[in-house]
Amino acid sequence: MKSSTIMSEGDSVLIHEIEELQSSFDKTTKKLIKDIKRQNKIMTRSDKRQKREYDELQNRLKEVQKLQLAQKELLDSFIKLIAGAIDAKSHYTGGHCERVPQLSMMLAKAAHDAHDGIFESFCIANEDEQRELEIASWLHDCGKVVTPEYVVDKATKLETIYNRIHEIRTRFEVIHRDLTIEALQKKLAGDDESEVDAWLAKEHQELVEEFKIVARANIGAEFMKDEDKAKIHQIATRTWVRNFDDTLGLAHEEKKRVLAEKTTTPQVEKLLSDKQRDIIPREHFDYEEYERMGFKTKVPKFLYNRGELYNICINAGTLSYEERFKIQEHIHMTIRMLERLPFPEYLKNVPLFAGAHHETLIGTGYPRELTKDDMPIPSRIMAVADVFEALTASDRPYKEPKTLSQSIKILSFMVEDQHLDGDIFRLFLKSGVYLEYAKAYLKPEQIDEVDIEQYL
Amino acid sequence: MENLIIEETKYTPRIVLDANEGIIELKGKSYPENTFEFYKPMMEWLEEYFDGNAPEKIVVNIEIIYFNSSSSKLFFDFFDLLDEAKDEHQIEINWIYDEENDSAEEAGEDFIEDFEDLTINLVSK
Repeated sequence: MKSSTIMSEGDSVLIHEIEELQSSFDKTTKKLIKDIKRQNKIMTRSDKRQKREYDELQNRLKEVQKLQLAQKELLDSFIKLIAGAIDAKSHYTGGHCERVPQLSMMLAKAAHDAHDGIFESFCIANEDEQRELEIASWLHDCGKVVTPEYVVDKATKLETIYNRIHEIRTRFEVIHRDLTIEALQKKLAGDDESEVDAWLAKEHQELVEEFKIVARANIGAEFMKDEDKAKIHQIATRTWVRNFDDTLGLAHEEKKRVLAEKTTTPQVEKLLSDKQRDIIPREHFDYEEYERMGFKTKVPKFLYNRGELYNICINAGTLSYEERFKIQEHIHMTIRMLERLPFPEYLKNVPLFAGAHHETLIGTGYPRELTKDDMPIPSRIMAVADVFEALTASDRPYKEPKTLSQSIKILSFMVEDQHLDGDIFRLFLKSGVYLEYAKAYLKPEQIDEVDIEQYL
Repeated sequence: MENLIIEETKYTPRIVLDANEGIIELKGKSYPENTFEFYKPMMEWLEEYFDGNAPEKIVVNIEIIYFNSSSSKLFFDFFDLLDEAKDEHQIEINWIYDEENDSAEEAGEDFIEDFEDLTINLVSK
């Protein structure tokens, strides 16, 4: 090379080194440029993806919120469906399950707004707490779905699936004819006709009166005093003769019970009796579970006792001891059903709030015989709402609705007996909720003047 | 040379490096906490593999449904390795992605753009 001749050895080495450096520098620069381009690409892609992911997340969130709302609506409808089913099951309780939540929520709001006494620390902090209360009051009677209608609706003492007074009246008819026949036989035997007629008239009159006594007792509107019961037992000793086999036409369960007794014919029967066949044994009752659930109400030995005398002699109302327990069992079922539901954390008190509305402040209620300290304010609110709704309801065919002042008087007695909470009762009056509810749900003729001062 | 198999985890893909068959497979998600640490055994294996241990024909199947940025960076390095080996081997790369997965598709397009001498097939499924 020409240049080599004019270049020193040193320069040549230096140039070579510079050329190498330059080449290596070029390579490094190229690589750096490539890397920067790649990094930018990665960053751009990453940004783009992040945006996409964020948008997607927002969409999903919206979807979840929509689903949540739909689920909430579904749950609400479901709850109302159950409450509606219970109300529809018995026209005797009408719109109870629907009105108790209205009154409970009015009271809860008043308790939230009040800041004195026991309400100082009570508040409905958020929508979730309100919902918890609402759901509890909508479901407070949900266990009634399993209560037999004939017990809920038992309108007379002798009623089972039908009112057995008709059956008993037929026996009276039989005895009536027996007496007529007896009179004719006397005449045939040559007795004095006018004497026989007078005797028969008197016997018939007595029989008719006795039926009236039994029939009146059957209604259950009056308290049965000891002498009333003695009279029923005396009437029961009349007899009639049964000529027909009473084991015919029975399903096997009843037949088994009937066959355990004397069934030959002709059979002299009592006009009214308590028969072995009338006792339905209590079978398959899980006493252990009952105890485990904390239920304390004494369990009657028999499931039902349909004895005629036993039922006619019920002290007050139409329900026997066994049937009263059967009614009370609705709250056992309410608690069982609600405690079995997997309520989320914010609804965890629903069973507690709903299941204690038949408790009193002094351990005399059911089913857990709780006392005031065991009962949170919402349970005590629900207890007041439950009673007040029942007293004022105008859709129950078996009783006239009470007026506002009568209902409040009864509440005040229950407060005196410590069955209902006095603080909540006074809040009910002071806040004006009693009037607000009355205006919304009572008939105008029920709303009379109430002097609330006497109760405060 | 021994095969290298790394099982799939919640954050990392299943990696199968089959030395004799000439199959390199990555399948799953890729967002490890330390990406370069995780892929280090694979990269070292590959360097040794292309250092005279690989057969003529090599198939690379990559099906990564989700990956973080450092995984993207690592995949560039991975493709660099393949790019260096392409003269001595017949390398076919299948970039497999779900047709609804736009991010995966676009990443595949980036690799094609950057490595025009490599055979990269975008395989939508």
